[in-house]
Amino acid sequence: MTPIVEAHDLWKVYRMDGTSVEALRGVNLMVEDGEFVALVGPSGSGKSTLLHLIGAMDTPTRGEVWLNGRSLTGMSDAERTCLRCREVGFVFQTFNLLPTLNVLENVEIALRLGGVPASQRRKRAAELLERVGLAERMKHLPRQLSGGERQRVAIARALANQPALLLADEPTGNLDTTTGESIIALLQQFHGQGQTIVLVTHNPEIAKQADRVLRMKDGQIQS
Amino acid sequence: MFDVAFKNLWARKTRSILCILAVVVAVYLNGSTATMNNWMYETMTAELARYMGKIYVQQGGSSYPPFDSTISQATAEEILARADLGLNLEESAPLLFVRTERAMMPFMPAQAAVIGVPVGRENMLLGHTEAAAGVNRFPEAADEVTILGEQAADYYHATVGQEVTINGQKLRVIGVLKPSAMGNLDRSAVVPLPTAQRIFGKEGTVSAVLLTAGDVNRVEAIATALRQDYPVLEVNTQDDLLAEARKVLQFPLFYMSMMSLTAFIVAVAVIMNTMVMAVMERTREIGTLRAIGASRRLILGTILAEILLLSLIGGIPGASLSMPMAALMRTRLPTPMQLTQIVLFAVVAGIVGGLYPAWRATRVDPIEALRYE
Repeated sequence: MTPIVEAHDLWKVYRMDGTSVEALRGVNLMVEDGEFVALVGPSGSGKSTLLHLIGAMDTPTRGEVWLNGRSLTGMSDAERTCLRCREVGFVFQTFNLLPTLNVLENVEIALRLGGVPASQRRKRAAELLERVGLAERMKHLPRQLSGGERQRVAIARALANQPALLLADEPTGNLDTTTGESIIALLQQFHGQGQTIVLVTHNPEIAKQADRVLRMKDGQIQS
Repeated sequence: MFDVAFKNLWARKTRSILCILAVVVAVYLNGSTATMNNWMYETMTAELARYMGKIYVQQGGSSYPPFDSTISQATAEEILARADLGLNLEESAPLLFVRTERAMMPFMPAQAAVIGVPVGRENMLLGHTEAAAGVNRFPEAADEVTILGEQAADYYHATVGQEVTINGQKLRVIGVLKPSAMGNLDRSAVVPLPTAQRIFGKEGTVSAVLLTAGDVNRVEAIATALRQDYPVLEVNTQDDLLAEARKVLQFPLFYMSMMSLTAFIVAVAVIMNTMVMAVMERTREIGTLRAIGASRRLILGTILAEILLLSLIGGIPGASLSMPMAALMRTRLPTPMQLTQIVLFAVVAGIVGGLYPAWRATRVDPIEALRYE
């Protein structure tokens, strides 16, 4: 299988008030196309930092990341932005929907950023929202939705540009157990259709549903 | 991104409305000062155009119009009687200027005044100003009569045939003039000189003598001769009056420019404050946009679109409000080009005030934004 993500000897060192904090210490990672990988570990173990690096949101202090065959090393801010837009979809713990836009517009904006022509955006956004079960809520503002519904919108937005990689950072962290399970089921459904997913979670029950579980501790992958 | 920008402004209605109101006031203030400047220039230019080829003699140290000037009528008659000067006596006469209602604001002309002119010499003062009603010349042996300037008729609420009371004396209105483009004439009641002197207890004195050279090329020679013979008097040609007018206008124009600059700074500060707060509040939203693939340029464009909307929504009504101001000042209404310039003032203020918040928005790091709670 083709690797979607390859990371070699990744280091991330933050300097705060004159002291250095090693968030990642020589991480190596490979995620194959169509794989569902769960990153688990205690707070401060480096899960989110790793997610940010493979998602082209941040640059490593040392090491190299390859995303869908392209090295992120030396990429300009504009190139990384473009890559995030077309190759990566993000799902955040706190949903991060734009509060002034309705559900449909929240999905449409990702398509707009992806350069999809205006004539096709509405139709594609509506189709995605139907797939996540929100066909009846398209004109609602995020504040009018439940937490689970908001996360479904966020998933639809993340998948709008058919990214090679879906990154989910604690997607059930702000949801009750039942709603959380339905969100994981939705992610499983997309995974079943071939979507590559890397998910960060604290919850071992959720991690069990992934193809592979990577445990992190002190900035390193333990297993 | 104007649709997104509009929704962002709409989501914070109160702040946006307050910002727009401040822009309206700043633009109105700027438009009004421009109108005032135009008005001052136009009035002064029209006033001085009448003195081409003429010499104006008044008390030394007094200003124009010579409300504060007093010279004896004997001196005035002596000057007029000098054959060596080569004057056109048909177009030369002593004049009395009396302010009857002070100006509303400093540096503005008197609201109402009386100009005393010898009967038969009105032409020198009124020139080609036609009568809107009645006559524009005094009949022979006229005494207790007046010809009102266009705004003076409004001031006294009088028409031809009615009486007006000036300083306790009733005068019959025999004519109302059309607008003359001379602010002082428009606001004045023109009265026969002896009558004006009697009403105000100024018998034997006048404010100025207006002289016309028989030969236009001798204006400077006549002025030089008068300066030598009457050192206590001030002898002005049109050029002198122009220089004096520029000097007098210097301060009010500077004052107006400062008001305009203040309005600009206020508009910049209000827009900057509004947009800095908006960017700070929306750090997370901006970070999210960056995370899902919005370029720095797009973020800059969205913020600038909001600023442009604020500027235009405030600028257009602000510029429109300067129209009533121009009507009140009885000056030319702003042309479409001038109105565009006034709106442009708001846009420039918006861009200057918005650059910092817009730049700040482009510096939002997607990761910091996602950590922001």
